[in-house]
Amino acid sequence: MELLTAVSIGLLFATGIFQLLRRNVIRSAMGLMILANGVNLFLLTTGAYDGTSAAYTTEAGVHSDALPQALILTAIVISMGGTAFVLSMLYIISARYQTADMDEVDNLKH
Amino acid sequence: MTMNLLVILPVLIPLVGAVIALLWRHKRPLRDAWTLAVMVVSMLASFVLLAAVWQNGSPLVYQSGGWPAPFGISLVADMLSALFVVMVQVVMVTGVIYALGSKDTVVTYPAFFTFFLMLVTGLTGTILTGDLFNLYVFAELLVISGTVLTAVSDDKFGTEAAYKYFYISLLASFFMLLAVGTLYVSYGTLNMADLGAKVMADGERPLLWPGIALLLAFFMVKSAAVPFHFWQPDFHAAAPTPVSAMLSSVVVKLGVYGFLRMTTLLFVAQAPTIRLILLVAGVIGVVFGGLSAIGTHNVKRMLAYSTLAQVGFILVAIGWGTQLSIMTAIVFAFNHSLIKAAMLMLAGYVASRASVKSAAFDIVTGVGKPLPLAGVLFFVGSLALAGIPPTNGFVSKSLLFSSGINSTFYWSLLLIGVTSIFTLMYTIRAFQRIWWLAPAEGIYTKPAGDNLAAPVLLLIMIVALGIWASPLVTAAQEASAWLSDPSVYIQAVLGG
Repeated sequence: MELLTAVSIGLLFATGIFQLLRRNVIRSAMGLMILANGVNLFLLTTGAYDGTSAAYTTEAGVHSDALPQALILTAIVISMGGTAFVLSMLYIISARYQTADMDEVDNLKH
Repeated sequence: MTMNLLVILPVLIPLVGAVIALLWRHKRPLRDAWTLAVMVVSMLASFVLLAAVWQNGSPLVYQSGGWPAPFGISLVADMLSALFVVMVQVVMVTGVIYALGSKDTVVTYPAFFTFFLMLVTGLTGTILTGDLFNLYVFAELLVISGTVLTAVSDDKFGTEAAYKYFYISLLASFFMLLAVGTLYVSYGTLNMADLGAKVMADGERPLLWPGIALLLAFFMVKSAAVPFHFWQPDFHAAAPTPVSAMLSSVVVKLGVYGFLRMTTLLFVAQAPTIRLILLVAGVIGVVFGGLSAIGTHNVKRMLAYSTLAQVGFILVAIGWGTQLSIMTAIVFAFNHSLIKAAMLMLAGYVASRASVKSAAFDIVTGVGKPLPLAGVLFFVGSLALAGIPPTNGFVSKSLLFSSGINSTFYWSLLLIGVTSIFTLMYTIRAFQRIWWLAPAEGIYTKPAGDNLAAPVLLLIMIVALGIWASPLVTAAQEASAWLSDPSVYIQAVLGG
């Protein structure tokens, strides 16, 4: 379980950062989303996450730490809002320049 | 207990005000009057908070929901945060006043003031919160409202600048989340006071240094410190004038606040390393910001680059790390907020009177001829930015140099002393082009533009704080005395 989580976090980070560095704006936005998931998965692993019974109950068995899960919930909501906003800005920019190549969106240089 | 409720008021008032402003979004006069009233009441609340904290002699803590300290979210007001909240709210009031008198289309949008008040909520919240994750949430609120306000700017490159900023901000918030994760897995707490105490007790956990680095990167993005500065000139130059005056003055101070908290509360034993990084970043920022400001062709962009340099001075002061230089950093941050807000508003005012709405030098050259009042204000603002009496800029510069002489980093003192001259060069060049040179063919001055009330108010404060600096300096002295002993903060939050 630990190995699987570690490998998936690594893969998500690698893919996310690779896509982030692409010139295509859509791809770089995708990179952000993938990276967000990697970060959330990392947050999950910071607490005990493989419990077998519900937290804050008297049930027998191993409990999970509920705090990182609450953090992830908040982070997911915020990153969803952020992603929606990024995509809407991308829509305006790519419609204005008729391209998805970041190198051609260069009016700010002047 | 009733005293402790004061802590939440500067966050709660703008938040409630923002929601109600949204309900009245189509009744413009009502919405405008409501926003101004909310901001003024909120500013008064922050002054009351500062007075209460000062009189109380120890930090005021509000435990939200009544949960005891390391488990619930605490809102903490010590002298540093109370002083920063006052700074934020004073500048934001003038921002609202400028927006009310602005001719931009962006201020007529129904949700403009809602987002403006959300910006205040986010910034005040990040400064008052005593919980790392809560800090992330408030910082996101701040980023989203700032970006929305810029994306709808009258400047046609607003959306691109906003995209650039939002992209790097999302990355910064990933840094923050990773820092929260690494610190939580190392110390099992998110409460800043509790974390500070635990790091002091055991500074050997393997994930501590990655956590520090990630948190440092987050605050460096927020304050546009040097390796993470590239978004800042575009973003601050493209934002609508009332918003860019806020972004370039108080919003960058969030990072400054974060550095002060990191070096004096969270990672006290690790502070020398953090300070050295800040010192280097600050010196590079001063040199790079000053040189870039000299080389730009746009007044607003010049002032945005100047923010890089001025934040660099503050980072250098934090980097020296003595009690005197921390006091200097607080005074400098306060004064720079007033000066930069005033200067950007004046730049925006000149742009609003130019034939095309732009702050580029070839369009605004000579526009100032019929605007003598703005010229006087800009000149006094330039003096303040360069640190020449009788303005508050002189107070902060002289404190900076006298605290530098007492520290051991003479090379940095020498460098920033020499590069201080840049400030005078670029502000006087802008003044000369706008108010002295004859306008080119086809350039004329519009008969009406934005209202000058807000910069006048700010300039009055700038000169008043230059002549009568003792209240601010005494408050900052008190704040840095509290910061020199982290147990003041920790005991107030955790009790005992």
